[in-house]
Amino acid sequence: MYKSKAKNKRSKYSVGDKAKETLNSLSEDNPVLLMFREYGKTLDDKHDRYERIVKLSRDITIESKRIIFLLHNVNTDLDDKRLKVIEEAEQRLQTVIDTQLKAVALELKDQDSYQYHKAYTAGLQEFIEAFAFCSYIKEETVKNWKTMDGLFRYESEEKQPVSLVFPHVDFILGLADFTGELMRRSLNNLGMGNVEECFKLCNFVRHINTGFLGLMAPGYKELSRKAYVLRQSLTKMELVCYNIRIRGSEIPKHMLLSVIESNDANENEDEGFF
Amino acid sequence: MCSPTGIVADIFTPFQDYVNSEQETREEIRKIMKDIESPLREIITILQVIHHARDIEQVHAAILSARQTFEIVRKGFDRLDKIVPAGQYYRYNDHWRFATQRLCSLAALIVFLEKGVLINKETTAEILGANDKANIHLDLEDYLIGLLNLATELSRYAVNSVTLGDYQKPLQISRFVAELNAGFRLLNLKNDSLRKRFDALKYDVKKIEEVVYDLSIRGFGQNPVQPINEEPDN
Repeated sequence: MYKSKAKNKRSKYSVGDKAKETLNSLSEDNPVLLMFREYGKTLDDKHDRYERIVKLSRDITIESKRIIFLLHNVNTDLDDKRLKVIEEAEQRLQTVIDTQLKAVALELKDQDSYQYHKAYTAGLQEFIEAFAFCSYIKEETVKNWKTMDGLFRYESEEKQPVSLVFPHVDFILGLADFTGELMRRSLNNLGMGNVEECFKLCNFVRHINTGFLGLMAPGYKELSRKAYVLRQSLTKMELVCYNIRIRGSEIPKHMLLSVIESNDANENEDEGFF
Repeated sequence: MCSPTGIVADIFTPFQDYVNSEQETREEIRKIMKDIESPLREIITILQVIHHARDIEQVHAAILSARQTFEIVRKGFDRLDKIVPAGQYYRYNDHWRFATQRLCSLAALIVFLEKGVLINKETTAEILGANDKANIHLDLEDYLIGLLNLATELSRYAVNSVTLGDYQKPLQISRFVAELNAGFRLLNLKNDSLRKRFDALKYDVKKIEEVVYDLSIRGFGQNPVQPINEEPDN
């Protein structure tokens, strides 16, 4: 065996002759090839569908991010303008529900949605984030999973009911992202001297954090990662509240932000030394 | 201020319930998988006989016994079908994916030994007991990975057949694996686990070709009953 292997190296050209011969003799109607053509079609179908859903998911993400950006601009005392912005955000959210999310639902009709879950989970989470942010700004509360799940009910062209599979875990993950937006809002509010809102926001995020702390969900890595980020956001917000209390009377409110940001910068620098 | 205190009850309690019920399902599946993996190991052991026995009777007995053991596997998949919720096969399939791939390669090996042909997906599903089920099925990619595993097993079989003095078997295996390779080349593979596994097929093909080459330059392939007359391996 060993010797012949050495010989192989010298006259390698003839190794594989058998395989070549077999390949050349394969006719087009070889049963194996026919079988594999069939499988190839199935695989292509699956990959194509997956790619289409990924594209839709990307569109959903982009639009959701824009809506969130829009909502960050409602920090105005003019009630009239505030309502207008909220109305526009709601309308655009509804458009996402009625177009892209519906398209995903239709792609997944008669399919096992979990097979394609990875393709649309990112977009869905981003959408939840935007939706929760919108309803928070409007009503200072968020909808629960059941209510949101009810948004994704559609009708197919044949008038059959179709609904998007909305895993509960995506909802919770989207909610965790949403607290990041609340933190940004809190800082924006502080910059504008709107301190009341900071306490409110902080309190709200605190309750979400409590919810996360109480969860027992082994096996969801993503969840604990987001819970960690959430805790960081909360710490920052609590620091905001602390600073308002302790220095609120010393300096003008609109200057508090720079105090916190400089604190923050110092902290980050400190961490660098460890 | 609205009542953020409601958040825990309204949002996190239902989620905890969801997680709990999922954990329960997973626990049930794990139990069933134990009952599928034990016959799986048994079948692997039974079929190892092909590497050391040339006796046709012995091989046939092993195939028969392996086929009987598959009955236990089918019972397992019957139970699995009842546990997996409708339309959620892919939510839980990481529990059975690996075992299914190995079972596919075993079923394919059995059919190869019996008839010398490549098993198709339907037959594989029938042998595993994953056919005509409401909530479970045989995933195409698992089946294909099973076939690639078979090629690895066959490359070993080709080497050992020579040792046992069967010079026809490697030729048959070579033809079979070349066809399999040609089949896989028709697929547009994405950069996923199937693609990676397919990339390893060429090593099996090469190994088998080397065996065939060794046989043909010595003219062993023509005379199957020729006594073993290789140069001694030191």
